[in-house]
Amino acid sequence: MTSTSKPESLEKKEQVHRVLIGKKQILVTEEEPLLVQLERAGIHVEYQCREGYCSSCSIKLLWGNVCYPFEPLAWVQSGYLLACCAIVKSDIEIAFFD
Amino acid sequence: MSYSTFNRKKFDSMKEPMFFGENVNVARYDQQKHPIFEKLIEKQLSFFWRPEEVDLSNDRKDFQKLEEHEKHIFLSNLKYQTLLDSVQGRSPNVALLPIVSLPELETWIETWSFSETIHSRSYTHIIRNIVNDPTLIFDDIVTNEEITKRADSVSKYYDNLIEMVNLYNTMGFGTFNIPGKGDIEITMPKLKKALYLTVASVNVLEAVRFYVSFACSFGFAERTLMEGNAKIIKLIARDEALHLTGTQHMMNLMASGKDDPEMAIIAEECKDDVRDIFIEAAEQEKEWATYLFKDGSMIGLNAQILGQYVEYITNVRMQAVGLDTYFETKHNPIPWINAWLVSDNVQVAPQEAEISSYLVGQTDNSLDDSDFDDFDL
Repeated sequence: MTSTSKPESLEKKEQVHRVLIGKKQILVTEEEPLLVQLERAGIHVEYQCREGYCSSCSIKLLWGNVCYPFEPLAWVQSGYLLACCAIVKSDIEIAFFD
Repeated sequence: MSYSTFNRKKFDSMKEPMFFGENVNVARYDQQKHPIFEKLIEKQLSFFWRPEEVDLSNDRKDFQKLEEHEKHIFLSNLKYQTLLDSVQGRSPNVALLPIVSLPELETWIETWSFSETIHSRSYTHIIRNIVNDPTLIFDDIVTNEEITKRADSVSKYYDNLIEMVNLYNTMGFGTFNIPGKGDIEITMPKLKKALYLTVASVNVLEAVRFYVSFACSFGFAERTLMEGNAKIIKLIARDEALHLTGTQHMMNLMASGKDDPEMAIIAEECKDDVRDIFIEAAEQEKEWATYLFKDGSMIGLNAQILGQYVEYITNVRMQAVGLDTYFETKHNPIPWINAWLVSDNVQVAPQEAEISSYLVGQTDNSLDDSDFDDFDL
């Protein structure tokens, strides 16, 4: 019984998704919000508050799913995500200005 | 219909629209039609700060060492910020409180406006610290043509709405002849249009105009000059980010029709007007940049770079309220501004270093005598 639960939690922790940005692709986990992971990959994203109330880091979400552990104060338009607090839940494609 | 400070009617405030419904009577927050405004109030309260907390003694020395054209940039920018917050410290109250219909939104408007008065107080704090005679600076705000041009464009939508609401409250609907102004027609769609355009112009003020002025303040701090001033502007920028979220919510709620179906029609009709407000403000800000740097630029910032930032930030803000972007500039020409704008390193007391919005007095009231059972004296 204990042997089945262990790999499951391990798998959950290492859940990795692809993020497509134009021709670039980076891998992200569900451990942290998208913004810090984009920054670590050297992708410059606008930010201000980094806690979901200023909407500076709003990015177009072309397809895929994200979720928010806390509902952000900023208005999140449909088809957009707030990078500072969004947790990526599937492979996604994002775009800055079109 | 005239305004009442305590509406005697019994009605369900959960069914009222944000504006132009019943006047608010009981200030109750246990139920909210739009909980976002209650959350904004809480956040704003957690941001409370006072300008005197920031020491500006080094700024005085820095200011005296600035070159003449840099003093012009610094002071003009400060005058402009003073103008913007003079308007914002009163206008949401004067224009919006008589027509608001939700208690949580009414209190958000008051909280929002109050925080703008702290900004105004901080400009006085700054000016008093860097010059011997603040009167010279303050007087110039009402006489300097470059500043007064801006005053006209930031106050005209407010003033128009206030005038129409005054007429509506005293006379009701109809066409009224106002000496010197001609006939003014008051209908509900016209009132709502005036409101929508006012909220849009406030959003432009907070989301575009303020940010252009922040860029200048932080431009000095990038060169390790006027750093006390930058600390204050950082606190102001944190508040403004919240305020612009408030106006974006108002605009998007209106446009969605979820709050008031008639407002959605008006928002749709006003799309081009709102677009024009954004573009006009951006052009004015670019003109302003030329005026700021007329006698010379400073390291890292000149009229051209600031102009590109105006275009960039206008695009970002237009997109945030569902408009197509207008300008070519798609990248931030001054990416260093983010490090100054970021709120999570606003200086805080050591015990609250983890979070900028520290809540005071968070005690655990659920303690029971049994919790002390393992205590030995």
